[in-house]
Amino acid sequence: MFRYYGYDFKNYAFPFVQRRINHRVQIERLSSISALQEKILREPSVMARLLSDFSINVTEMFRDPSFFKSIRTKVIPLIRDYPSIKIWHVGCSSGEEVYSMAILLHEEGIYDKTRIYATDLNKNILEKAKQGTFPLEEMKLYTKNYIEAGGKQAFSEYYKAIDDKVCFHPFLQKNMIFAQHNVVSDHSFNEFDIIICRNVLIYFNKVLQNDVHQLLYESLSTSGFLGLGKREGVKFTRYEDCYREFDGPERLYQKVK
Amino acid sequence: MRFRTKLYTSIGSLLLFITIIVMILMNMLEQSTVKMNVVINDLNERIEIASTIKDETSLSSNVLNALLNNREAAINMDLTNAWENSNASLQIAIESLEKKDTQEKAQELISKFKSLHESYRNMGEQALMERKINPNAELTPAFLTDLERTSQRMAQMSELLHGIQEQGLKNELLRSKDTYNWAVENIYIYLVIGLIIGISFAIWIIRSISNNLNKVTEVMKQAAASDFDTIPRIEISSKGELSEIAVAFNKMAKALEEHSRNEKQVKEDAEELSWLNRQIAKIATLYTEVENVQMLADMLITKLVPMVGASYGVFYLKEVNKSDQYLTRMSSYASLSTEQERKQFRLGEGLIGQCALLKRPIHLNQVPDDYLKIGSGLGEASPKTIMILPVLFEEQVLAVIEIASFETLTPIQIKLLEKVNNNLGIKINSIINHMKVEQLLQESQALTEELQAQSEELQMQQEELRTTNEKLEEQYEASKQQNFEIHEVSAALEEKAQQLELSSKYKSEFLANMSHELRTPLNSLLILAQILSENGEGNLTYKQQEYIKTINTSGNDLLNLINDILDLAKVESGKLDVIPKEVELNQLRDIIYRQFSHIANKKKVHFSIELDKALPMTFFTDEQRLLQILKNLLANAFKFTESGSVSLQIHSVMKNITRNQGEEQQLERVFAFSVIDTGIGIEKEKQKTIFDAFKQADGTTSRKYGGTGLGLSICRELAQLLGGFIEVTSEIRNGSTFTLYLPNLQMNNKIVDISTARAEAAVSLESNYLVNSNDQVLKEGSMLKHGKSILKNKKILIVDDDIRNVYALTIALENYDMEILVAENGREALEVLKKHPKTDLILMDIMMPEMDGFEAIQHIRKISRFETIPIIALTAKAMKHSREECLEAGASDYISKPINLEQLFSLMQVWLFTKEG
Repeated sequence: MFRYYGYDFKNYAFPFVQRRINHRVQIERLSSISALQEKILREPSVMARLLSDFSINVTEMFRDPSFFKSIRTKVIPLIRDYPSIKIWHVGCSSGEEVYSMAILLHEEGIYDKTRIYATDLNKNILEKAKQGTFPLEEMKLYTKNYIEAGGKQAFSEYYKAIDDKVCFHPFLQKNMIFAQHNVVSDHSFNEFDIIICRNVLIYFNKVLQNDVHQLLYESLSTSGFLGLGKREGVKFTRYEDCYREFDGPERLYQKVK
Repeated sequence: MRFRTKLYTSIGSLLLFITIIVMILMNMLEQSTVKMNVVINDLNERIEIASTIKDETSLSSNVLNALLNNREAAINMDLTNAWENSNASLQIAIESLEKKDTQEKAQELISKFKSLHESYRNMGEQALMERKINPNAELTPAFLTDLERTSQRMAQMSELLHGIQEQGLKNELLRSKDTYNWAVENIYIYLVIGLIIGISFAIWIIRSISNNLNKVTEVMKQAAASDFDTIPRIEISSKGELSEIAVAFNKMAKALEEHSRNEKQVKEDAEELSWLNRQIAKIATLYTEVENVQMLADMLITKLVPMVGASYGVFYLKEVNKSDQYLTRMSSYASLSTEQERKQFRLGEGLIGQCALLKRPIHLNQVPDDYLKIGSGLGEASPKTIMILPVLFEEQVLAVIEIASFETLTPIQIKLLEKVNNNLGIKINSIINHMKVEQLLQESQALTEELQAQSEELQMQQEELRTTNEKLEEQYEASKQQNFEIHEVSAALEEKAQQLELSSKYKSEFLANMSHELRTPLNSLLILAQILSENGEGNLTYKQQEYIKTINTSGNDLLNLINDILDLAKVESGKLDVIPKEVELNQLRDIIYRQFSHIANKKKVHFSIELDKALPMTFFTDEQRLLQILKNLLANAFKFTESGSVSLQIHSVMKNITRNQGEEQQLERVFAFSVIDTGIGIEKEKQKTIFDAFKQADGTTSRKYGGTGLGLSICRELAQLLGGFIEVTSEIRNGSTFTLYLPNLQMNNKIVDISTARAEAAVSLESNYLVNSNDQVLKEGSMLKHGKSILKNKKILIVDDDIRNVYALTIALENYDMEILVAENGREALEVLKKHPKTDLILMDIMMPEMDGFEAIQHIRKISRFETIPIIALTAKAMKHSREECLEAGASDYISKPINLEQLFSLMQVWLFTKEG
């Protein structure tokens, strides 16, 4: 697969790869993995489907509200006076968290000088993210999250319901840059003050986690902040010593060297 | 001599000397005093006696004179007595004097006096006697003179005696004075002697003491100057206190020496201990940096080996592999060639293994020369000593260290090794434990990550499932709807069944007519177009000819379409009867050949029909239908074949076939009609869909080949009607093979249940429609369904005391067909809710009289029915804190006034959205 399509999943977490492949085998109603392999090599569309299997797009607006609250109350005061702020959202998926961040920064009055770089491996999902429309049914949860994350306005000010979707106000997209980026194979492309890389590393094995951590480390400015997923951490990685636990339970780390 | 004795002796002898002298002097003084007293008493007595003698002499002479001169008797008597007395006393005095004065002169005098006195007395007595006899008689003068002279002489004599005596006293006094002088002299002499003796004694004693003391001091000074290792001893020359001191000093010196030796020993011990501790501390500092056993082994062996002056060292760690225990070489110091040295030992294997087994150090002191070489670039040599130490923890061997040294290991080095070893065991154990803990931590971290990943995947799958579910639901809804419709239709149909049945005859007539009616004008149209296109008169322009050709082909297409629609309609309405009868294959072949040979010729495609020789001549089926299918397939084949060949092969094969609906498949001999062409072929993916209505292999983009897309559908339906099916194999650009499998209907004369076939067809059509147009059509449908329709017919309660607000909101909301309830305050809102339990959403103003928004929300939330009803608080923009209060009170969301209607509708859509919705 790697030779044919150039996608390298060998350092993804093995059980994860196993599950996704089995899942695809099942869906394609195939008998074995080799059958899938054959099919993949013959039909690019199957490959595309498998690729989308590997891209897990579970996200919410203000996912883990306490994380966003911590950013709002603890991180923002430290970076408020920067002349410009660069944020990298690694694995932004359909962009919920990117919009959340934009709202948060807007409410803190620093969105104008901020650039949010949102990247994901999956091109389709990026398209979705660019649109900034999210399903209506999730909005109750998002409203709750918004409030818990310390929202200062009314959440409804930011969106417009169109049929069964809500469309977020375009001004939020003003400083967003969406781009396809593969943390596994691509390199650092800028230096950021905050990097949000939540629930990306969980799909990788230790080797790859370390590589990605290197990428993140190299992309982070001195005393920049790294936000990881609820179940992730820098412990046991090569860069453990380079970070200071800024908010332990929220997995917010500050680069110290 | 003892100092005390000396002192005692000297002072004692001095005292004794003085005492003796004093005693002698006292004695002498006493003697002289006594003597003097005696002498003086004696002399006094003698003087007294002498004076008595003198007095008595004079007295006696007086008395005698008186007596002799006096002649009275009386007086005489007294005088005689006095005389007698004086003589007697004189006698006594002389005698006592005679006794007392032993001097020769005195004795001589006394004896003279005595004789004088004798004569005197005798003369007196004679005189007296004569007086008595002749009282008046006168005494001869001679006598008297004699008498007189005697008495005088006596007086002289007594005077002399007295003088002698006084002279004696005087002599005695002189003598006593002499004695005194002598005594004084003696005292002085003795004093001087005593002084000399005393001083000499003192000098002697002082000198002897100071001498000895000096000696002692000297030695002591030396001792003080010495390092207490060897203290000089005092020679013991004599007995005495100083010798005792010397002895004591010597003892002390000995003790001191011993003490200093001890102290030195202790100091050395302490130094060793401190060295030991330092080294241990050094090793211990290593431990803090250590992260794993390998690191520990490396650091330890590189530190420890030079520390004990060794030049070679290996660290083996015990590893457990299932039941086997190995000592594996982890790290080494100055090891030369790794090939020679073994990497692993079993327990008990070699000295290393043995050491691990024994759990005691093994110390080899005389190592053979060729045992091991330790070398540098310049040379190599064999070590002298090899030490193998087990690292223990709780009696368990964790590792073994082997150390080789050119020197013999000193006890302290060995001690160091042992000490380090002890700590090492603990450390290794703790590292192993720590690593285990770390491992576990990592595992748990990995597990939580894995869990998160799984949960996300699950969430996604759930999401997918939900969407498919929703789709299914929608499909289900749609099919339900359709079912319902079908139901209705079928009901209607049933209602009209009889009419239909009655009218079926008319209908078929109608259809026939219809087709006729349609075909006739079409045909004439086509013919006329044909004629025109030939341009017999040559008055048509090229363009006009083109138009006419188009009319012609379009007309043809229309005609075909009409035919196809009629057929399909017939099939679908079940109005197609299957009339099986004997079909002669030869005849069939001829018919087909006739029909297609000219097309083949026209297209310059080779056409052949092959009949398998093993086939029976006839078989039972509906010939008309069979022909229809084959014609269709062949027409297709020719249509898509530009060059090459088209052939029809008829043979028989064994195939699984379903005779009747619901029956199991049976293996059966069937007829196979294969239409083989060398045309453009069909993509694999399309092979299934080509049978669907209005589908063609090349899709919708190219209309090159024309056709309605209904042909194959009809074929399939017909094949099913005849109890068979069509299979297709094709390769793109290499032609296709359509094979019609048909059972021999003679086998059972049952006519295929047309209605089931119809139903099946209908369902398949339906499902096709659904699947293919799913995405777009359903989306459009749901858009209609959701969107503004979410708001439609919803019951909204507006709670606001400002009637203008209420009015504005009501108007706006009613535009969306919402049902509006109004309450002016919280209390009223509760009442309204009681009356209208099916309220969908509440818009709640906060600042109201009677019962404000907070209170109202709290009250509403207490009612179980309204626990989850969306309540949207209308807050004043200026009051931020009131928002939080709203949420605390239980509001679902808030919107600030003045209300942006668009925002409000968005918000309401969010909160009114339900999946059923």
